[in-house]
Amino acid sequence: MGPIVCATRGGEVSRRTQERAIALARERETPLIFFFVADTGFAGPTNEPLSEALDDELARLGRTMLYIARTRAREQGISAHSVARHGTVSEVMENFLREVDASLLVMGTPQENSGHQSFKPGEITEFAEQIRAATGVEVLVVS
Amino acid sequence: MEKFLAIETVVIILLFVAAIVAIAVRRIRLPYTVALVLVGLFISLEHILVFEVTPELILALFLPPLIFEAAFHLEFSSLRDNLLPILVLAVPGVMLSALIIAGIVSVGVGLSLGVAVVFGALISATDPVAVVALFRTLGVPRRLAVAVEGESLFNDGTAIVIFHLALIAVATGSFSVVEGVADFLLVSLGGLGVGMALGWVAAYLIAHIDDYFIEITLTTVLAFGAYLMAEQLHLSGVLAVVAAGLISGNIGSRGMSPTTKTVLFSFWEYLAFVSNSLVFLLIGMGIDLNQVITHIGPIAVAVAAVLVSRAIVVYGLLWLADRLGRFVHVPLSWRHTLFWGGLRGAIGLALALSLPAGLPQRDLLRLMAFGVVLFTLLAQGTTISFLLNWLGLTRRPPQIVARERHLGRLYAAQAGLRHLKELHRDGLLGEDVWAALREEYAQASDQLTSEMVQLFAQHADLEREVLLRTRREALRAERGALGDALRQSLISEEVFQELTTEIDRRMEALDIIGEATMPSRPAET
Repeated sequence: MGPIVCATRGGEVSRRTQERAIALARERETPLIFFFVADTGFAGPTNEPLSEALDDELARLGRTMLYIARTRAREQGISAHSVARHGTVSEVMENFLREVDASLLVMGTPQENSGHQSFKPGEITEFAEQIRAATGVEVLVVS
Repeated sequence: MEKFLAIETVVIILLFVAAIVAIAVRRIRLPYTVALVLVGLFISLEHILVFEVTPELILALFLPPLIFEAAFHLEFSSLRDNLLPILVLAVPGVMLSALIIAGIVSVGVGLSLGVAVVFGALISATDPVAVVALFRTLGVPRRLAVAVEGESLFNDGTAIVIFHLALIAVATGSFSVVEGVADFLLVSLGGLGVGMALGWVAAYLIAHIDDYFIEITLTTVLAFGAYLMAEQLHLSGVLAVVAAGLISGNIGSRGMSPTTKTVLFSFWEYLAFVSNSLVFLLIGMGIDLNQVITHIGPIAVAVAAVLVSRAIVVYGLLWLADRLGRFVHVPLSWRHTLFWGGLRGAIGLALALSLPAGLPQRDLLRLMAFGVVLFTLLAQGTTISFLLNWLGLTRRPPQIVARERHLGRLYAAQAGLRHLKELHRDGLLGEDVWAALREEYAQASDQLTSEMVQLFAQHADLEREVLLRTRREALRAERGALGDALRQSLISEEVFQELTTEIDRRMEALDIIGEATMPSRPAET
């Protein structure tokens, strides 16, 4: 069985999402990968040096959050991996799920009052459907 | 030479007074500008310092840097998001306000309609310096701050143009609506055109030079030059400065290195601080409190007229605009803020001081203007923070406040424990007492730590906020270390510039990420 991929961006429900993914990895005895996409689309047009700094800082933030998630998994006896990529969330995620031949994608529901979101709360189901249709990977949305 | 030295001495004293006031308001809950006016009033009552406030001084010397700085900071994107409400309030809003005020003071004070319109125009421009400064401190939504600031930038120009047209109508005894509208458009659009043209030239030069001394000089020439050139051409100097600031701040800054941007923006912030300080001190010094008290009746009518007109413009006009198709919604809480935050200041006073000697009831108009400015600053300026709190516009996400509270308690508890440890080490605290207190502090610390862990578990986004904050701290430390390395000649000026530019750019990137990912405040109504 392919690995479980847990997408994280440090939002309001990310902790619950990670815990759920860890529990499922233990239950199914499958590898777990925490995944972060540095998508700077929210910043709009910026000059090149700033865009590079933005991309780099976002990826750095992502790597730190992935490290914390990995530590959390290790404390519960699960040895997880983590991967950070750059690009548009949907595109990068679809490619990655195919690349690792994932069996399940676990992701959190964005909350109404938690700043910029790649998706609005109502759009997450639509996004999950899109991923499922494009990759054939089962998607679990944690709220 | 002696006269020059005397002026220099007065300016230095005023700046010193401003600095003292700035230090004092850190300890008392009073807007800086309001405190300056009060100190100015005290100086004038006690005749400590005599300084004649002329309209030229305010309009040509202090106003350009104030307007330029506000426009220079205002981002096109923020302005675009709020453009419709801003323009509705700044153009038809000011016209309507001038007419309503004119109607009320004409009936209430017995002024001729022409003279009443002159007063309506001169007192219609809002000056929210005190309010905007408070917004920054209280963390009010950015879009609301932009709406208030944007309205004030554009309504200055509208009010001045209407004021001049009304003066001409009173002097000639006739007024043609068609000519009036044509003149209004010519003066306003002409002023904007001059400012845009000069702004483009400056932006082009700024974008191709990366030397902050030259760029500071160019923007200084631009701010004052745009005003002077437009006024020479009988166009709106204020609107010219607005356009010049917007263009140079948004387009010129694109090619700047982060270091240049930081230095340039700091320079303009400082210049605006100095101008503001002097303007509001001089406002206080220029008000004759005895005369204001003697003419309290007409002043009360003028204050009522200003409040009624503001209410009609903010609630009525925005409601109407809301009903007329695609319009950015302005929440009710914001409308209350726009209403009560519509303070009057430097523009109104400068125009009142510039009234021609032959104008009927000129002195009364001046006193009414001074009275209105004083009322809005003292009554509205000092209570706006309560309104913002009551409307919930200063509320931060509760989980962040809770985290800060826990952190504060933990920090304080650890400091207390350290102090007790020192007392014990020095033999000033007995073993039994020390052991008991240590146990108590340890329990309190454990409790706080466990609550903090629970808080982070409930609000996972706090983790991201802490990571961003910590990264900022680390970058600040890196910048400081580079300064040390430069002073110790470990690195050259060139390498210092290169590395600090990189750090500044990363700080800017973190600000953008923080702004985008920060949990927003509870939903606004």
